[in-house]
Amino acid sequence: MSITLRVLLIIASFFSFLLCLKRIKQAKLKITNSVVWMLGSLALVLMAIFSNAVEWIATKLGFIAPVNFVFLVMIAFLLMQTFIDNIRISTLNEKIKELDHYIALKELEKNKEK
Amino acid sequence: MKVLIIIPAYNEALNIEKTVKDVLANTDYDYIVINDCSKDNTKEVCERNNFHMLSLPINYGLTSAIQVGMKYAYQKNYDIAIQFDGDGQHQAKYLKDLVQEIQNKNCQIAIGSRFVENRKPHSLRMLGSNLISFCIKLTTGKKIKDTTSGMRAYSRQAIEEFVKNPSLTPEPDTIVYMIKRGINVKEVQVEMSDREFGESYLKPIKAIEYMFNMVFSILFIRSTTKKKGGK
Repeated sequence: MSITLRVLLIIASFFSFLLCLKRIKQAKLKITNSVVWMLGSLALVLMAIFSNAVEWIATKLGFIAPVNFVFLVMIAFLLMQTFIDNIRISTLNEKIKELDHYIALKELEKNKEK
Repeated sequence: MKVLIIIPAYNEALNIEKTVKDVLANTDYDYIVINDCSKDNTKEVCERNNFHMLSLPINYGLTSAIQVGMKYAYQKNYDIAIQFDGDGQHQAKYLKDLVQEIQNKNCQIAIGSRFVENRKPHSLRMLGSNLISFCIKLTTGKKIKDTTSGMRAYSRQAIEEFVKNPSLTPEPDTIVYMIKRGINVKEVQVEMSDREFGESYLKPIKAIEYMFNMVFSILFIRSTTKKKGGK
């Protein structure tokens, strides 16, 4: 891995880490949700520092360039995140629908009492 | 037997009055109009006519409207719940036939079908219907001719399934689910009219998406449903 890429990875993860912390302080991000992002940025730093290990794994797995391996890891991480988010959205959707039904049924009962 | 007719309505101000009056004239069952947060004055029309109406505060589509109707039927201990379109396509005079089938214990779900005695016409729409029919036959071994019919009567047992499983929709894949759960499904010959006003829930652009969802759901999700009692 080139030195530029390593520096870039470290800078990027540093900033994403800071952003996470800031959002948690502003209470816009739940701690449980942010842990994943922090671990993600930590993984970037580790990949930048131990680039030899990354190169070793990449060659063993048959990657043409180690950077491809880094990309693959990042894409896999992002895909996983979107999938988890998708599940969360579905759950939320279901919960709102339950509320929707609950309110409507309550209103109906209230109107009948009148 | 207590029978509830569930009439989902979304922007049906022009049709709903006629539909409910048709139901009142032809049956003496209870009914409930589910106003799915219509943008037009469906709600006002119902209030003016003093119709029995449940009004949802958020629009969540046909599935949600039927589900809340099922919840109501379950809470109020109805024996049979019938879904009946609010757009004037269904004719209330056939409701008795559906109830009769369930009352005689011939089945637990009665589908108002256009093609029990009559042949299917050849059209793109029917091609889709045939494809769904084929998928149902493939997964359950049962021949359902009018799969997309929105006029269905559910017995208490089927109502319970609806309340307990929020993923169930008033669509053909639910038929597969019900058959797999050991519920007997039967078709009853009815006639349907063309809609007079307004737009259908199923717009042509959405038809392809709908087909994909149905085929996928039937073949991969509902087909693996376990029979009641077994795990």
